[in-house]
Amino acid sequence: MIKVENLSVAFDGPEVVKNVSFKIADGEILGVVGESGSGKSVTALTMMGLVSESAKVTSGKVSYDKNILLEAGKPRDKALYRRYQGQKMSMIFQEPMTSLNPTMKVGAQVEEMLLLHGEERVSGTGRRPKSREERREIRRKRKERVLQSLASVGLQDPERVYDCYPHQLSGGMRQRVMIAMAVILHPGLIVADEPTTALDVTVQSQIIELLKKINREQKNSLLFITHDLNLARSLCHRILVMQDGCIVEEGTTETIFSEPKGEYTKKLISAVPGRTDKKKSAYALKREAHKNGQLSDEELKPLVEVRELNVFYRENANSLFGKSIRKHVVHNANFEVYEGEILGLVGESGCGKTTLSKAMLGLNKLITGEVIHHSNAPQMVFQDPYSSLNPAKTVGWLLQEPLRAQGLLEPSKAMSAKDREEAAYDMLHKIGLKDKYFVRKPSQLSGGQRQRISIGQALITHPGLVIADEPVSALDVTIQAQILDLIRKLQDELKTSFLFISHDINVIYQICDRIMVMKDGKIVEIGETQELFQNPVDAYTKELLK
Amino acid sequence: MKMIKEWFQKQNKYFLVGLAMTGLVLVLAVLSFFWTPYSTTSMSTSERFHAPSWKHLFGTDNFGRDIFSRVMQGIGTTILISSLIVLISSGAGVLVGAVTGYFGGIVDEIVMRITDAVNGFPSILLALVVISIMGSGKQNVILSLGIVFSPSFIRIVRSEFIRLRDADYIMRARLMGVRKLRILFVHILPNIFSVFWVSVTIGFNNAILAESGMSYLGIGVQPPDASLGKMLSDAQGYLGRAPWYALAPGLTIVWIVLGFSLLSEGIRRKGEK
Repeated sequence: MIKVENLSVAFDGPEVVKNVSFKIADGEILGVVGESGSGKSVTALTMMGLVSESAKVTSGKVSYDKNILLEAGKPRDKALYRRYQGQKMSMIFQEPMTSLNPTMKVGAQVEEMLLLHGEERVSGTGRRPKSREERREIRRKRKERVLQSLASVGLQDPERVYDCYPHQLSGGMRQRVMIAMAVILHPGLIVADEPTTALDVTVQSQIIELLKKINREQKNSLLFITHDLNLARSLCHRILVMQDGCIVEEGTTETIFSEPKGEYTKKLISAVPGRTDKKKSAYALKREAHKNGQLSDEELKPLVEVRELNVFYRENANSLFGKSIRKHVVHNANFEVYEGEILGLVGESGCGKTTLSKAMLGLNKLITGEVIHHSNAPQMVFQDPYSSLNPAKTVGWLLQEPLRAQGLLEPSKAMSAKDREEAAYDMLHKIGLKDKYFVRKPSQLSGGQRQRISIGQALITHPGLVIADEPVSALDVTIQAQILDLIRKLQDELKTSFLFISHDINVIYQICDRIMVMKDGKIVEIGETQELFQNPVDAYTKELLK
Repeated sequence: MKMIKEWFQKQNKYFLVGLAMTGLVLVLAVLSFFWTPYSTTSMSTSERFHAPSWKHLFGTDNFGRDIFSRVMQGIGTTILISSLIVLISSGAGVLVGAVTGYFGGIVDEIVMRITDAVNGFPSILLALVVISIMGSGKQNVILSLGIVFSPSFIRIVRSEFIRLRDADYIMRARLMGVRKLRILFVHILPNIFSVFWVSVTIGFNNAILAESGMSYLGIGVQPPDASLGKMLSDAQGYLGRAPWYALAPGLTIVWIVLGFSLLSEGIRRKGEK
C-alpha cells in the first residue's frame, strides 16, 4: 500500500538516509529497528511530509496506493500532504508530555482532527449547515464520536477525560489520547515513532496491546519505529533493521530473530539483555558459602544499613510566605547493602526510587529513621550523561576533581598534582578510554563515553558504595551492553558495592545479585535474583516479571 | 598566519564587526592618555569654529580647541569610568548573585526585595540622589552608577546559579565532598560566562550612556577634563553655528554603543552554538 523507493535524504551535508526502499502491505505491522542516529525517524518523517524544510530528498519517491506523494527534485506538495495527513496517514510521537497542546482541553484536541478532516465540520469549505438545530446536531454527533474514540483506546470515563487538560493526565493516558487522535479517522497507515519509550514497563505493554487491538479491528497498517528489539518482536509482523541510514536487514520477525544474517543484526540481538543464564559473581559465591555455613556472619558484612527509613519531600517552599507541603514518599524502608554486591532496585517512575537513593546519600534531609554507612561517602552515577558532567571542564580535570576535593577535606589523603594526574590516567584506561580523551571536554564525547567518565569519576576515590540511578536508560542497546559490562568488570576489580536503580527488569536481571522491588514508596519484595525470578511472591512483582 | 585566518573564519560577523569597532575606540582611548594631535586645553581665538579639515579632523570648538583631540580624551575618560562602573556592579553581581542564588532562603528574599526597590527608580534619577548626597565628581559618579547598575547583574547571576545549582554535575560535586565556595566559583561560575559576558557588554553600553548623560547634566566629569557628555552640552549653544561640535561626540557615543552591542550579540551567538 505504501511504497518507498530508493529514498535518500540529506540535511546540509552527508545523506542521513541512504537509498532506502520498502513496502508496507495492508494491515501489516512493520517494525523499523535501529539505534539513535540510524535514520529511522527521518525516514518516517520524510514519508509523512513532516521533516523540516532544510532536509532535501536527493533521490527516490514515496507513493501511497498509486499516488505519488513525494519525488526527488520536486518541491513537497503541501496541499496534497494536508489531504493525506491525519486522514489517510497519522503519526504517534514519542513524548506524550510535549505532543499535546498544554493549553487546550484534550477533547477539543481530538475534535480538531474531525474539524480539519472529517465530514462533520461546521465551518470551513464545502456545505455549510443552515439551521441552528442542524449545527447543534452535528456538534453533538461530533462529540459523541470523540467520546467513542477515547473509550476505544481504553480510557475509562471518557467524559471526564474529554474535559481534562493534558497535565491532568498521566503519561500513559496522554499516549492513549494521542492514539485516539491518530485513529479517529481510521487512517490507512499509522506511524508510531517510539510511542512507548517514555513510559513505564507495565504501561508500555498495555500500549502495545492497544496498538495490536487497533490493528486487528481497523485493519490499518502500522509502521512501528523503536530501538527496543523486544518490543518489535512482540508486536511486528515484519522487521527492518537500519544502521547509518541504510537498511541492513529485512525479514519476518521469526526469521530475523531465529536466523539473523547481518553482523549488525546479530550484535543488536545479542546486546538485548535477556534472561539467559549468567555467570555467578564473587558475591553470589560468597553468599552461597555463607548459607552453607562455611562463612561466618563477620565475613558477610552489611556496608549500608537502612532502618525504618521514611523520606519526605517538600513542595512549594520557594516563596517567602508559601506554605510548603510535606509529601510522604518512601514508607518504612528496611534493607541492607552488603559488601561487594550489586543490589537492584526496580519500580515504576514516581515510586520513590530516586528519592530513596538521595536520602541514602544524605542529599535529602527530610527523613526519619536511619541510614548507617560503614564506609566512606557513597557516590552517584546519574541517568542523563549529558547533564552529569560539568560542561566547562576537561575530562582530565573532571577525573581529578574528586581526589582534589578529598584532599581538601582530609589533608591526610591529599595527593600531589602528579599523583593525581597519574590516578586520573589510570582510571581513564580502566573505563576503556584512550589518553587523547584526557584533554577533551564533555561536549566532544558521545553519550556512552560520558557515562564511562561519570562512572570513573564515581569510582576514583574508591567509595564503598556507588548508587547508579538508571545509568543505561538513556543509551542505545549496544552501548548499554558495553556499559553494563564495564560496571561488572570494575565491580569485580574494585569490590565496590552498587545500588543499581532501573525500570528495566532485564537489565536488572543481567547485572544484579539481589533485587529489591518498590511500589508506591514501599519495598514490596527483596530477594536473590534467581529466586525472585523463579518464585515471585508479591502480585506486583509477578506483573513486572511477565 | 594560517592560524589567524582560521580564527577569523570561525567567528561570526557580529563578533568581528563589533570587535573592529570597539577595538578602534579602545586604541584611541589608550592613545589619548599619552598623546593627542593637539593639546586638549590650549585655546586659540584665531582658530574658533573651524569646520572639519585635514588640519582639524573634527573641526575646532568655541575656544579654538581641536575637537578630535578632545573626543579622544573624552573616549578615554568615558571608557575608563564606564569600565570601573561595570567592574563594581558586575563584581557585586557575581558575589551577591552567586550566594543568594545558590543558597536561597531568607537572605535571598531580602536581597531580592532590595534590588527590586533599587530597580523601581529610574537609574539616572537614583544616581542623582546618590550624588546629591555624596557630592559631584568622577569618583562619586563611578560609585553611584556602580550601585545603581548592580541589581541587574545580581539578577542575571542569581538566575543562572539557581538554574545550575541542582544540575546533576553539581549534585555529584557535592557528593564528592567539594566545599561550597569551590562549587560556587570553580564548578558553577565558568558555566555562566557566556551569559555573563553578554550582560557585561550590555551593562557597559548602559554605563557609557549614563555617564554621558550625567556629564551632560554637569554633575559628572568637571572641566577642564573632556568627556563626551560634557562636550555635547557645551556644543548645545552652537548647534547652528558649528554643528560638527555636537556631531563629533554624539556620533562617537553612537559608534561605541553600536560596537559593544554588536560585540555582545556576537558573544551571545557564539554561546548558542
